[in-house]
Amino acid sequence: MEAPPVTVMPVTGGAINMMEYLLQGSVLDQSLESLLHRLRGLCDDMEPESFADHELVYLLRGQQGNPFILRARRSLLKPTSPWHLRYLGQPEVGDKSRHALVRNCVDVAASHSLPDFLNEMGFRMDHEFAAKGHLFRKGQMKIVVSKLSRVHVPGNLENTEPLSLSYLVELSVLAPAGQDTVSEDMKSFAEQLKPLVHLEKIDPKRLM
Amino acid sequence: MMSGGPAVRVSIESSCERQVQEVSLDGMETYVPPLSMSQNLAKLAQRIDFGQSSDSDEERTDREKRDEWSTREAEEDEGTVKFQPSLWPWDSVRNNLRSALTEMCVLHDVLSVVKEKKYMALDPVSQDPTVAKTPQVFQLISKKRSLATAAQLLLKGAEKLTKSLAENQEQRRQRDFNSELLRLRSQWKLRKVGDKILGDLSYRSAGSLFPHQGTFEVIKNTDIDLDKKVPDDYCPLTVQIPSDLEGSAYIKVSIQKQSPDIGDLGTLNLFRRPPKAKPGSQMWHLRLEAAQNVLLCKEIFAQLSREAVQIKSQIPHIVVKNQIISHPFPGLQLSISLCHSAGEKKSQRASPDRIKPDDHLYVLEHNLHQLIREFHKQTLSSVTMPHPASAPFGHKRLRLAGPMGYDKAEISSWQHIEGLLEKIIKQAKHIFLRSRTARTIDSLASRIEDPQIQAHWSNINDVYESSVKVLITSQGYEQICKSIQLQLNIGVEQIRVVHRDGRVITLSHQEQELQDFLLSQMSQHQVHAVQQLAKVMGWHVLSFSNHVGLGPIESVGNASAITVASPNGEHAISVRNGPESGCKVLVQFPRSQAKEPPKSDVVQDGKWSHLRGSYKEVHWGRMEGRNFVYKMELLMAALTPCS
Repeated sequence: MEAPPVTVMPVTGGAINMMEYLLQGSVLDQSLESLLHRLRGLCDDMEPESFADHELVYLLRGQQGNPFILRARRSLLKPTSPWHLRYLGQPEVGDKSRHALVRNCVDVAASHSLPDFLNEMGFRMDHEFAAKGHLFRKGQMKIVVSKLSRVHVPGNLENTEPLSLSYLVELSVLAPAGQDTVSEDMKSFAEQLKPLVHLEKIDPKRLM
Repeated sequence: MMSGGPAVRVSIESSCERQVQEVSLDGMETYVPPLSMSQNLAKLAQRIDFGQSSDSDEERTDREKRDEWSTREAEEDEGTVKFQPSLWPWDSVRNNLRSALTEMCVLHDVLSVVKEKKYMALDPVSQDPTVAKTPQVFQLISKKRSLATAAQLLLKGAEKLTKSLAENQEQRRQRDFNSELLRLRSQWKLRKVGDKILGDLSYRSAGSLFPHQGTFEVIKNTDIDLDKKVPDDYCPLTVQIPSDLEGSAYIKVSIQKQSPDIGDLGTLNLFRRPPKAKPGSQMWHLRLEAAQNVLLCKEIFAQLSREAVQIKSQIPHIVVKNQIISHPFPGLQLSISLCHSAGEKKSQRASPDRIKPDDHLYVLEHNLHQLIREFHKQTLSSVTMPHPASAPFGHKRLRLAGPMGYDKAEISSWQHIEGLLEKIIKQAKHIFLRSRTARTIDSLASRIEDPQIQAHWSNINDVYESSVKVLITSQGYEQICKSIQLQLNIGVEQIRVVHRDGRVITLSHQEQELQDFLLSQMSQHQVHAVQQLAKVMGWHVLSFSNHVGLGPIESVGNASAITVASPNGEHAISVRNGPESGCKVLVQFPRSQAKEPPKSDVVQDGKWSHLRGSYKEVHWGRMEGRNFVYKMELLMAALTPCS
């Protein structure tokens, strides 16, 4: 069956337009411990939270060039918690002085029948990976230190192979559109993590 | 020398004989030819040991040395000469004499020269010009210059020493600053921004959502005079706290009778509690702690006032200035106020004229602090952490709302968490109810002696519930008459009474209800006591009723009545006790004891005279006995014959 024509329209998440502010960096495996210690001291006083997730990336290809991407993620540690469906828009090309990557973000919690639903809708799974690591928070900021692993057999998460010898560090804030002070706070927090890890704005378009 | 005494002729002859060289055969002696002058001299010279030199003989030794050299060739010809001791024993004498002569001649010459001045004159010897005395000024200048050089060296050295000492002190102060900073950092969060050191004293990292930044600045204290003595409380660093957090604050929670005039609100005496200084704690620690406390109190008050405005309740809460007023019970007023005394200066007013009794409920203030900290912890609990990690923060149940299809009612049902204000009002209500219950019981206990009322309060309470066990007994008869035992569970708005016989009664918060109830229980107790006493004394209970329907109506509760008969059946006692009407005791006597025994034709048998007849009331007030049960016992004993 031919895929129906897809027109890429701006996606709005209901009443409030939420934007994701993102800074990314990476650390080698041997520096992970010191980074975790540092984060433990800088972030809110909680027990360190570890997570293990499985993410599937779905694409909807239409006649036009750019496919529509949706990310479905589930937790392996807490199988009863709902799936999380995420849409990330194009990074906003604002002024260069903005310190973080800003893009439109829509987050939806979904039940466990999400993969089937997406398949029925016409999405096809492009790739999947497993992410394992630690989660920290400081106020509204979320810091995720994760190791990404490749899944060899689709659906089988027993043997995964790490993609690299380093951990991905992401600093993100979910805020309504128009709050620019958020990126200032993120930048000052990123300053405190230097020289362990350099968090910077990485444009995904430049990577492709 | 030649003067005096006759001349003595001294002749000297050498005693040496010529040596015999050989004796010829004809007896002719051939003598060794005597030595010539030079040979003799040489021989003598041979004997002289030139190694030992003497002063007087120096000249001679020189000559002799020369001679020796010259005669050495001669010696070679002659052969060795034996060393012999001095041939002339007067040699030394002659020498000494000769030297003495020489000396004397010289002295004589010198004296003649000095005396006659004919050939020679004495002339003073000119001094060596280098040994000449320099002028004094010159000496002074040279001494001064040398002293100046020495002084300069010393001064330079001293300067170096003082500089190093000052540096040491400066370093010590620097080190003090650093060690203080280290101590500060071990207790407070600090970070360096540019060249300033900023700190964070807010509760944001502990989960608070209050928008106040709470940043303080650490400043090095450089206004110290090294010459003066360092004061004892000197601290090398000071902290500068935000101006609105200065001073100290606390939340005052108090319950008062409702003020008639609403204009009275908002006037509050802000008496300041001095901060308790722990020994050894630094100034900055106290100030930072005080500022943090002020921030927490502000947050508590902001939360309370926000809730006071938002929450709908039957009687709306009033928020005015720094006070929140609500009415938990009619006629009662609960006021929560933020008392913030800024700055160090004492309050302008003197102590108020009449010291108001401190109705500050410290327990509730403490509970407010605890509740806000609980609220902070909830924000940070792992329940809000997202699984999967890409999901936004939020309670996990909210994330389930979508997939599970909750509707608004369901969401609001578990989302409705009691706010801070509601909790505190409930706690205040409970505290008030509990104290009023205690007061009621105590006033009854002090007012009424018979029967006695005892209250045993439970030590383990909840913020919303307390319990007390109330026993009504008679003094002296606690083991017999213990039928009235009440367990009171004091809640937030109601008191639940559980009776020993299983009845459960719910009383409202009205004081009068509890009092009436206890009074009715007390009157019932008296009748129950008679019942128990009858059992002990052997009397039989003929009738017993807790709520008797005869006689005047009581305004409080009901009257109870009991009738007991003596063991031999001759007498009977009837008691009716009511909370208001008091007790009425009637005794029934046998017919035979009546004043006029009735004569009847029908009843002929004498045995009928043993039946009980008329009643007589007992003047209970004139009875002997400490309390009701004692009196009853006496009465019973009196009516029981001994035989």
